Amino acid sequence: MQYTYSPGGDNEPFLPPRGEMPAGLQQQSLPFITHIIRFGRKLHYAGIDVNPANLIDLSRSLLYIDIANHKDFYAAALATLIINREDMELFTRLFREYWENREITAEDEQPGAKAKEKSRDDATQAREIRKQLQPAEDDAGEEETEPEQAGYSSHELLAKKDIDRMSELELEEARKIIAELIAILANRKSRRFSPAKSGAQLDFRKIFRRSMPYGEYCLRLAYKTHRLKKNKLILFCDVSGSMERYSQFLIQLICAMGAKISNIEVAVFSTHMTSITPYLNRNDVGDVVAQMSEQVHDWAGGTNIGGCLRELNEREAHQMLSSHTIAVILSDGWDQGDADLMRNEMEQLRRRVNKIIWLNPLLGNENYQPLCKGMQTALPFLDYFLPVHNLESLAEVTKLLRALWH
Amino acid sequence: MFDSIEEIEQKFAAHGYITDRHLATTVYLAASLGKPLYLEGEPGVGKTEVAKVLAKSLDTELIRLQCYEGLDTNLALYEWNYLRQMLEIRLQEARGVEKESIGTNIFDQEFLLKRPLLQAIQPHGPQPPVLLIDEIDRSDDEFEAFLLEALSDFQITIPEVGTIKAEQPPFVVLTSNRTREMHDALKRRCLYHWIDYPTLEKELNIILTKVPKIQETLSTQVCKFMELLRQEDFYKRPGIAETIDWANALLSLGIDELDQEVIETTLSCILKYKQDQEKLTDDNLQKALAITKNFKGGPVVSAQGSIN
Repeated sequence: MQYTYSPGGDNEPFLPPRGEMPAGLQQQSLPFITHIIRFGRKLHYAGIDVNPANLIDLSRSLLYIDIANHKDFYAAALATLIINREDMELFTRLFREYWENREITAEDEQPGAKAKEKSRDDATQAREIRKQLQPAEDDAGEEETEPEQAGYSSHELLAKKDIDRMSELELEEARKIIAELIAILANRKSRRFSPAKSGAQLDFRKIFRRSMPYGEYCLRLAYKTHRLKKNKLILFCDVSGSMERYSQFLIQLICAMGAKISNIEVAVFSTHMTSITPYLNRNDVGDVVAQMSEQVHDWAGGTNIGGCLRELNEREAHQMLSSHTIAVILSDGWDQGDADLMRNEMEQLRRRVNKIIWLNPLLGNENYQPLCKGMQTALPFLDYFLPVHNLESLAEVTKLLRALWH
Repeated sequence: MFDSIEEIEQKFAAHGYITDRHLATTVYLAASLGKPLYLEGEPGVGKTEVAKVLAKSLDTELIRLQCYEGLDTNLALYEWNYLRQMLEIRLQEARGVEKESIGTNIFDQEFLLKRPLLQAIQPHGPQPPVLLIDEIDRSDDEFEAFLLEALSDFQITIPEVGTIKAEQPPFVVLTSNRTREMHDALKRRCLYHWIDYPTLEKELNIILTKVPKIQETLSTQVCKFMELLRQEDFYKRPGIAETIDWANALLSLGIDELDQEVIETTLSCILKYKQDQEKLTDDNLQKALAITKNFKGGPVVSAQGSIN
């Protein structure tokens, strides 16, 4: 610990020892305020940001409470310095360390130790599951991947073509389509109004203002209309063996568009979910993909859609999921995880986001039926279930969504 | 406003709100420092209730602003009463008022429709009111930014009238269910308090206050069962509001003790999602019921109450 200095003895935890306390209010309170500042710095080093105004508030609050009362002082410090529930646990620990000079005992450590143990357990469990999955994958590979392969027929452009090998013209077209798709998905009507040249709603405030110079006559009507606002887009791409090429293609395209797109989050998943949004702004597409391959250790492994959705729901909910989020899932639905878990998580996601769109390359095949377990589980929760196996199908999707939404 | 933390505890209790010292201290500081109070917590733990009780304890007006997306200044602050303004001009014409002075008074305050924020700045009574800004997380960024400004000065500028400043700033309480993260700047202007689910002892006290006719056996069982239920992983865990509803329901059904059938038939009082109800299987229910029935701790032996 950087600050092991304790301001008080055991009996009076918050006051400097009596003998050292000089007379006079200002001098008397000075050391205490120094402690408050030091405590603020301690919080800062531990990752809890505290600004001077908050420290001033805490100092001011000392005028109103009895600082010898442990609980009140704690409540005051908590109310003035903390603004997130997540910080409260850490804060309490630091508070005890600083103001009570308490070494961290076994009892305090226990929750943390337990958590570590738990994560270790999880890791072992995950390994075991993966082990169990491995033979299953091999076994099932014979039966399951066979018909799946049939879906990827030779005329399908996306599966065949790498972005490097596309002609400049094709690439330009692909970019255009994606840009349009994203524009359609990302725009929505706001509940707020802005002035318009014509429209369904009259803007009385403005009409009245305009007619002021002419008495009560209105010479010109004013209208208002809903503004356009941006949705948040989440692209949730399957990078397991069966889907890797499609996802890579789409992600490369999105990277190629780079800074033109804001408000988009991209995550890839197979056995675990990884957010790759931070890499999207790189100029060099090749580098990004290489980086992603490094980052996504389980790139092209088995698929656990339910588990990955759970990670999305739990970890990213505050940041990514809201009623203005459109979730786009790109996957063939070959799930090797727990179907119940997946159903649960799909249900959760359904409640949290505005729309769920599932893009499935296999849907391009005329004979394809969404019979596999994962797809069956997901279907009831989808708003749109659309094919995406080549550029034409992507263009079709774009056209369809535009017709539906605008 | 308040002289001591104890006074708050007493006054709140007198109006039927059982609080703990931590919350009382935060409220006391908010009153003393003149800062807004920012309450967060799961739905149904009594956030809104704090503002209501606060208004009662201070014997003042409660002004409530319910937030939603698209809430704008016209609805939060003020709006001119356009119809009355037009009528006024017509009336003046009919009365034969001179042309120059027609319509000169239409931006008087009598044509102003006061919305909650303006009401809070110009209260009716002598006491500063309690302004409850409910579910701030449902508003959008624009309103949040506007609020940041309004809460720092407690003054509002209306171009036609001028600047209106509060003589005494209102006591502001903001509540949030955390459906979205609020901007730090707004939170930093407030005193933050997270209202957690109550301890068994506190919940029992609340039930005994809110449902006075209930028997102690039943109320203890209800609270213990709720405590066990909240440890499960539900989509929506039941709050205190649900406990009170349930206790009332059981009371009006004339039930003295919990058993499986009673719980199953009244489950909709506490679990409001179908999938949550399905999650509570017979096995789990029986297990929880067994623990509940064996639990003998009343308010007297509360120390053991919170340990499962």
